[in-house]
Amino acid sequence: MDFFARQERARRSTKRLIAYFALAVLSITLLLFVVVSFGLQFMADAQHESNRRRGYRAHGLQAEAPAGTKALFRADVFAWVTLGSLALIGIGSLWRLNELRAGGSSVATMLGGQALSANTRDPDERKLLNVVEEMAIASGVPVPQVFLIPDESINAFAAGYQSSDAVVGVTRGCMRLLNREELQAVIAHEFSHILNGDMRLNLRLIAWIFGIMGLALVGRMLLYARSGNRKDYLPLLGLALIILGWVGVFFGRLIQSAVSRQREFLADASAVQFTRNPHGLANALKKIGGLAAGSQVSSPQASEVSHMFFANGLKSSFLTPFATHPPLAARIRALDPDWDGQFAATHRPAPEPPTAKSAAGRLPPLVGSLPGVVLAGGASGFLSAADGPTPVTLHYAAGWRAALPAAVEEAAREPFGAEAVLFGLLLSRDAVVRQRQLAELTRVAGEPIVTETLRLLPAVAALAARARLPLVDLALPTLRELSEPQYQLFSAALQKLIEADQQIDLFEYTLQRVVRRHLATQYDGARRPVAQHYALKPLLPDCAAVLKLLAHIGAAQPAAAEAAWRAGWASLGSAPPPLHAPAGDDLIAFDTALARLDLAAPPLKQIILTAAAHTVGADGEIKEQEAELLRALADTLDCPIPPFVSLSEV
Amino acid sequence: MSGIIIIVLLGLVGCVFLVLLFAWSAYNGLVGLRNRYQNAYAQIDVQLKRRYDLIPNLVETAKGYLKHERGTLEAVIAARNAASTAAARVAQNPGDATSMQALAGAEASLTGSLGRLFALAEAYPDLKANTTMMALMEELTSTENKVSFARQSYNDSVMGYNNKREMFPSNLIAGAFNFGAAELFAVEKTEERQAVKVQF
Repeated sequence: MDFFARQERARRSTKRLIAYFALAVLSITLLLFVVVSFGLQFMADAQHESNRRRGYRAHGLQAEAPAGTKALFRADVFAWVTLGSLALIGIGSLWRLNELRAGGSSVATMLGGQALSANTRDPDERKLLNVVEEMAIASGVPVPQVFLIPDESINAFAAGYQSSDAVVGVTRGCMRLLNREELQAVIAHEFSHILNGDMRLNLRLIAWIFGIMGLALVGRMLLYARSGNRKDYLPLLGLALIILGWVGVFFGRLIQSAVSRQREFLADASAVQFTRNPHGLANALKKIGGLAAGSQVSSPQASEVSHMFFANGLKSSFLTPFATHPPLAARIRALDPDWDGQFAATHRPAPEPPTAKSAAGRLPPLVGSLPGVVLAGGASGFLSAADGPTPVTLHYAAGWRAALPAAVEEAAREPFGAEAVLFGLLLSRDAVVRQRQLAELTRVAGEPIVTETLRLLPAVAALAARARLPLVDLALPTLRELSEPQYQLFSAALQKLIEADQQIDLFEYTLQRVVRRHLATQYDGARRPVAQHYALKPLLPDCAAVLKLLAHIGAAQPAAAEAAWRAGWASLGSAPPPLHAPAGDDLIAFDTALARLDLAAPPLKQIILTAAAHTVGADGEIKEQEAELLRALADTLDCPIPPFVSLSEV
Repeated sequence: MSGIIIIVLLGLVGCVFLVLLFAWSAYNGLVGLRNRYQNAYAQIDVQLKRRYDLIPNLVETAKGYLKHERGTLEAVIAARNAASTAAARVAQNPGDATSMQALAGAEASLTGSLGRLFALAEAYPDLKANTTMMALMEELTSTENKVSFARQSYNDSVMGYNNKREMFPSNLIAGAFNFGAAELFAVEKTEERQAVKVQF
């Protein structure tokens, strides 16, 4: 899977960065040491001068002291300076890392971004949100929150540790000046960062760089501080710190440019791969060239995150050789070799008519039940298709959205309605169970939400099974607007609804898992899992639990289950243990296994997901339940799988 | 001896650095919480606007039936206009005490006059049976539920912000950078804690 190969490449570049970083720390230490030594020498000389002037004879050694002390003091001065600078850099880095623990949204607020509300009426904002939603659904990730940076230039970024806390930030100029095709290309470029695992490295880089640029950055903040009380001292102190921190800034830029320059070409290539349309991206870049403000972001903290932007976010200065992005012209030529090198002046595009709500054209209707998706090329075909969005899945996502009933789409875009939609998805078709669920829900969450749920229920219940999970993806960013107490109530209500029928079906399980996972970092303060397992052998029992459920779910007869089981184990490279008959607690075992597999190192996750895909694809067909389980698995392992679209739907 | 000087110096720089980092942290935390409650207000604003848009339709539909109750209808429109203006003023500066209280008052009187209108409509069976009227009533109930929900979210966010603003040591930063207190969106009278009930 190319997706995993790219992630692997991102991880390897970390080693080079560590080397640069060590060099930076060394240089700062040396500089500080030189400054301190001179300072001490100066003080010692002055002391000696004043002693001599007073005329009293001190210790015999003192006459020769200047020469002697120069040699002696080096060692322990050096030691203390080293310790001190390591401490300062270490504290700075750790502090910044802690500040960034909220993930992508901390970067967005740092740059002055405002979160876009999902039920906005502004046509430009609506267009941007639609593009992001389609890209997310086409990639199989929850829709990230979108932030608007108040700059008139054209730029964008994606930040976060995982897809759960990923955000996409876009400048106002980007939103207003690009047409839909160009906007889609820019968003595709950003999504490639999300899917390649670049984001995590980027966030850590901010923390490291802060450590070495710390003094300069704090100085700059002081220069910009508007406290109204102490205008006199702060800017001066700031200036002094900036001068001291210059070495750190130099190395910081070096590291940023080493990381991001090459990657930007790759991200451009990925964007083209996803959309199969090089012109959108080329035109977006040309518009940047034709704009006076270009891609410059005015926030004073833009320099910390310059490696995350779509295009160069900083003014050109003497540090331009360390630019974080390849030159604009080179990027355009890579996409459009026939470009004449001229930039036309950029102006607002003509407003495009919004996509009409219609029965979805050539896509199958979203209501009723759909047959299983037939895989062309079996499991390997599916795996290579699961590499990110494609024009097929993008078209599917757009069609899905157009075919979604207006009431449901509108409800999913506001917190109250989003809750009602999710409750509606969990209500049982069995009248008795449903009564029980409604009674529980009224007791836990109150009557208004039950009324709203019942109002939306006809539309929600009619959705095809395959259309349900994208709806959850759509509703997730809206649910982030819930306050903490509201979320706790919502979570409890979900739990009660699922328990009401005393058994868990696969869709309920997947929904609850996806919702919990993606909202947990924000509300429960859950810490991101750190990889603990680096060898496959201890995880084989968990793999067995996962593969067992997958094998039985998709199989009509025991023979088919056996074949699927064998296919999965062959992919794991191990002899298959005997396959047991399906048991009542299989789903619980699956859940427990997933929790452990979440702690596996990324290369292992790739192996596990591949094995799961082989198990599911052994019969050449993916049924709905298999798709739902695979989605739960992929979501937990943080390896997004695009929606399954059969060739007959293209 | 110079060793001691170095330690002291480094210690001082380290302390200054830590204090600055803490101040920066507190400042960012306050900004983040302020953004959160302002965004939460935006959600209320959307729902309030929807409510204000529904009311003229409601009055128009009822006018044909309630020919002799012009006073009540006009009171509803007047209350709606007052609430709309108040909401617009709050939207420019969410959390400001005076405009927030003005909005709460305007909303309370709007709910009061709507309640009187519905009580009056009880006596007119033709109006009750009118399909447009029924649809509008349902929309109105739904919107009021959404206002209530959004208000809850806003109040939770305001509490979070006010807490951080008042607790030591971030209150020092709040004072230095003029972070004002935010006002809750309170429900004024007890009778309209219940959503306007549509009972025919």
